[in-house]
Amino acid sequence: MKPTEPTRRTVLTGAAAVLAAPHIAGAQAKAVRIGMQATFSGPLAQSGITHRNAIEMEVDRINAAGGLAGRPIEMVYRDSKSQPQEAARVARELVNSDGCEMLLDAESSAGSFAVQEVVRDLGVLCIHSSSETSSLTADPKYRVASAFRSSRQGIHDAIVGGAYAAKVADARKLTKWATCSPDYAYGRDTTAQYLEYLKHFKPDIEVISQAWPKLGQPDFTEVITKLIQARPQAMYTALYGGDLTAFINQGNIYALFSAMQVFSVNLADYTALTAIKNLPPGIATGNRYVVTCPDTVANRDWGEAYRKRFNEYPTNWSWQSSTGMRFYEGAAKKAGSADPKKLAEALRGLTIECPFGVDGTVTMRAEDQTVVGYAIGWGTTLTKPPYVADVKPADWGTIFELETEWKKRNGFI
Amino acid sequence: MGRIFRDIAIGILAIAVLAAVPHLIPGKAFQDFVIRCSSMALFATSLNLLVGYTGLSSFGHGLFFGLGTYSFALLMQRTGISLPMAFIATLLINAVTAVAVGAICIRLRLIYFAFVTLAMQMLMHSIIISWVGLTGGDQGLQGGIPRRVVAGIDLGNQYNLYIFAAVVLVIGLLIMRHIVNTSFGTSLRMIRDNEARASFLGIVVWRVKLTVFVLSAVFASVGGIVMSLFVSGAYPELINWPISGDAIFAIVMGGVGSFLGPTVGTMILLLLNDVVTRQTEYYGLALGIIILAFALGLRRGLLDFITERLGGRPAGGIS
Repeated sequence: MKPTEPTRRTVLTGAAAVLAAPHIAGAQAKAVRIGMQATFSGPLAQSGITHRNAIEMEVDRINAAGGLAGRPIEMVYRDSKSQPQEAARVARELVNSDGCEMLLDAESSAGSFAVQEVVRDLGVLCIHSSSETSSLTADPKYRVASAFRSSRQGIHDAIVGGAYAAKVADARKLTKWATCSPDYAYGRDTTAQYLEYLKHFKPDIEVISQAWPKLGQPDFTEVITKLIQARPQAMYTALYGGDLTAFINQGNIYALFSAMQVFSVNLADYTALTAIKNLPPGIATGNRYVVTCPDTVANRDWGEAYRKRFNEYPTNWSWQSSTGMRFYEGAAKKAGSADPKKLAEALRGLTIECPFGVDGTVTMRAEDQTVVGYAIGWGTTLTKPPYVADVKPADWGTIFELETEWKKRNGFI
Repeated sequence: MGRIFRDIAIGILAIAVLAAVPHLIPGKAFQDFVIRCSSMALFATSLNLLVGYTGLSSFGHGLFFGLGTYSFALLMQRTGISLPMAFIATLLINAVTAVAVGAICIRLRLIYFAFVTLAMQMLMHSIIISWVGLTGGDQGLQGGIPRRVVAGIDLGNQYNLYIFAAVVLVIGLLIMRHIVNTSFGTSLRMIRDNEARASFLGIVVWRVKLTVFVLSAVFASVGGIVMSLFVSGAYPELINWPISGDAIFAIVMGGVGSFLGPTVGTMILLLLNDVVTRQTEYYGLALGIIILAFALGLRRGLLDFITERLGGRPAGGIS
């Protein structure tokens, strides 16, 4: 029998089926695109890179477990070059051209406000994972229904820092204080707020000297000698990044850190801790990210897994974007869907298990759509890894109470 | 007169084409591109009134672009005035500032002029960073721009803003083109080519220079207004010195001698930015190589190069 020749129709049908197959498979589990704009170039590139690293870890984990309500996550990253106008452009591009259904914003301060306006205009779902400016979520003027925050806040740090410092000051009778912070809005505001809460908990302190070095100042000699000559018993600093490491390296030469008890809110991040030549022991520091806060197996495991994969420890940015991703994951579970509207609904008031929670969980507070319950505390430095020990976790009851007072005072509620 | 009508006809045609494009091409990236292009092209062309036509190399022209964004955004946020009123008030604020800044700068020559204009911009940047209560300091002016409705048209809607930006760009370019084609424009070129001779011919050089300085500041602020509407706010980066560099790059790449050179340069710069940023994190390196290629390869801006290749002389009449 002569074998049947395939007709033209059979061939065409077959070809069409072959061509359509991937599309059909794709339709069954269409990827959820999440856009992230961050700084990947210039002096702040590390922020974008460590945000991305943490997200990669979470995306791999979530996708292996079935994705967001059965749909795998596909991340789209874009560099905003630390420019708010680029952040706005890129955020629009991610949504309008790249098909991103939601954003995980990794812009700090000005950039996050630029993105917030894009979110307002487009109505897209967004979690801010970098901005620590409290007003972004606290001030109803700036709030947007579809915008959330998974990063820490300045006001929380100020309350916790003030409470911790007051305890140490009480125990060691530290009444004469100095400050040394960068000379721009962040440095001045953070310092003023810290002192406000320090005085709230310990009214008898006296500020005898305040130094305001310029951002990126290479030589701190003048500042250091001024501080030593003032002879304070304690000093607070909001310096960070390269400025903080330069200040500590140069302060070591003058034995600044044995002359007074130093409180540094931004020291406990591995980027700073590992960049200092001889880390002086006993500096009090707020936690940015260290594997010892919270001192739990889950946090240590996460920190170690990150170190193994990227050959460096995570940063404060890392835990914040990891938390943002976990919130999307939790919301999708709760909503049973990856639809952005349903996710936004589910996010309000959502509590999820999280290695960075003070009790193993964090909550997206419904009233201002910002994360609370994350591990926040102060400890003291060691010369060697794990660099920071004896971390005293903060009491969230006190934070809530004083934060509410602060909001009332500013007319936010 | 014929030339004016021809320019206006081309302008109307350009607007008609731009208005039709979004109906043909779906996706909003093109609209965003045109809005940004309108802002930066007005800014770069206004700078070229100084650099290309008058021979005044300002390094601090971003002052007026940034001041445009801040004054417009602040007027919209803090006062109850309508958008057109805020638009006009912004132009006035910039004109007054430009008179003050220009009065100091225009008597200086060459590098001194360049550096004092840069210093003026940095001064304004410092004021904006420090005056936190008014400007939001380094965080920028937050909270968005309210009341973006003009004659029943909401500029919060992207397509409307796109058309608005296109119209503003075309009108701005037409007016600037008219300016350089008048006898005043000829005076500018005379000053550029030989200031002493222009003076002997009876041109009051400082007055002409100050006038063009103020005019260019006003057009730069129009670019600032468009940017402010695009980002719905104002940020210190928009008044910092690299923004002046962007305008200079646009002029260098597009062509200093052709009227549309800066507009073409802006398109190249923004396209490069958008394409390169998608591919690599080494944007600065890529941009540097491309600018070098323009400087060493073409040895002039793209439009100047094309005009000369076609056997013409750039309209700016560089001699």
